[in-house]
Amino acid sequence: MNQNNLSPKFYPAFREGIIILAVVLFIAVVFNSLRSNNLSFFGFSSTALIKEQQAKIPSITLSKAHDLYLKNKVIFIDARDPFSFEEGHIAGAINIYPDEASLHAASLKIKADHGFIFITYCDGPQCPLSKETAYALIQRGIPTVKVLVNGWSIWLTAGYPVSKGKK
Amino acid sequence: MKLRNFPRPFIPLLALICRLTLAIIFFYAGIEKIIDPGDFAVAIYNYQLLPDCAINLSAIYLPWLEVLIAASLITGIFIRGAALISALLFLTFATALTINLVRGLNLSCGCFGASSGNISWLYPVRDLSLFCVSVFVLIYDRGWRYFFD
Repeated sequence: MNQNNLSPKFYPAFREGIIILAVVLFIAVVFNSLRSNNLSFFGFSSTALIKEQQAKIPSITLSKAHDLYLKNKVIFIDARDPFSFEEGHIAGAINIYPDEASLHAASLKIKADHGFIFITYCDGPQCPLSKETAYALIQRGIPTVKVLVNGWSIWLTAGYPVSKGKK
Repeated sequence: MKLRNFPRPFIPLLALICRLTLAIIFFYAGIEKIIDPGDFAVAIYNYQLLPDCAINLSAIYLPWLEVLIAASLITGIFIRGAALISALLFLTFATALTINLVRGLNLSCGCFGASSGNISWLYPVRDLSLFCVSVFVLIYDRGWRYFFD
């Protein structure tokens, strides 16, 4: 009964709401068409945006990365698949594939609070995984993530410490 | 124009204050987003709740919706409709924020344009409070006519 009594009170609200929504649609479309920096209605591309944002992630040189490694101020993050990781990785690195970033975010945040910085790497100059993992970590609030481009290959060539297995 | 009903009506007066507060919040939020729709589209994308095809549409539509709600709340035209949409908007915002806080994403709120801070649990609480304010306005506000002849 109560509902029946209340409903008529809200009918005008629904009617007015629909009118407002329609007027807004008209104004928004017209204004967007007239303005110079307008948006295309369906033109948003998340792929392009992610690429653009990933390009902004800073990279680090091998010598600087190695310096930090010697000072024990860095945690290397191997963004490759687990099989490649087990075959060989930078000594002390942890394996975080881009999709797994959320699982590690909390523990990495604690390490970041202790002053560690994070360097992601994968294999090959065009390899996207290191940037993808770095991007996913930054999105989850990890402050200092850098990318060592072509990291695995150059680290191995330089003869710096590596290890095998799951750890 | 004659002033009437003062100082008797406490609730209508409170509703008026709530209504004008909501209007100021919506107006500020809407204008900030209208200035740079591109940034707002990115903010919406960062919530990772909408498909690509809906992001620009939302970035074009939502700021004007906020401005028109503000205009409606100030002028007193279609107050109930504006309060209803306002309540639904705040409920949607609170839900979107909560989902991303649970996901653990560290993103800019986008609530007042690009300069908004990163989200925390304070934000959905704020939005739920404003949802309650909107419902209060929806039920109790009687427009300017209550105060002026």
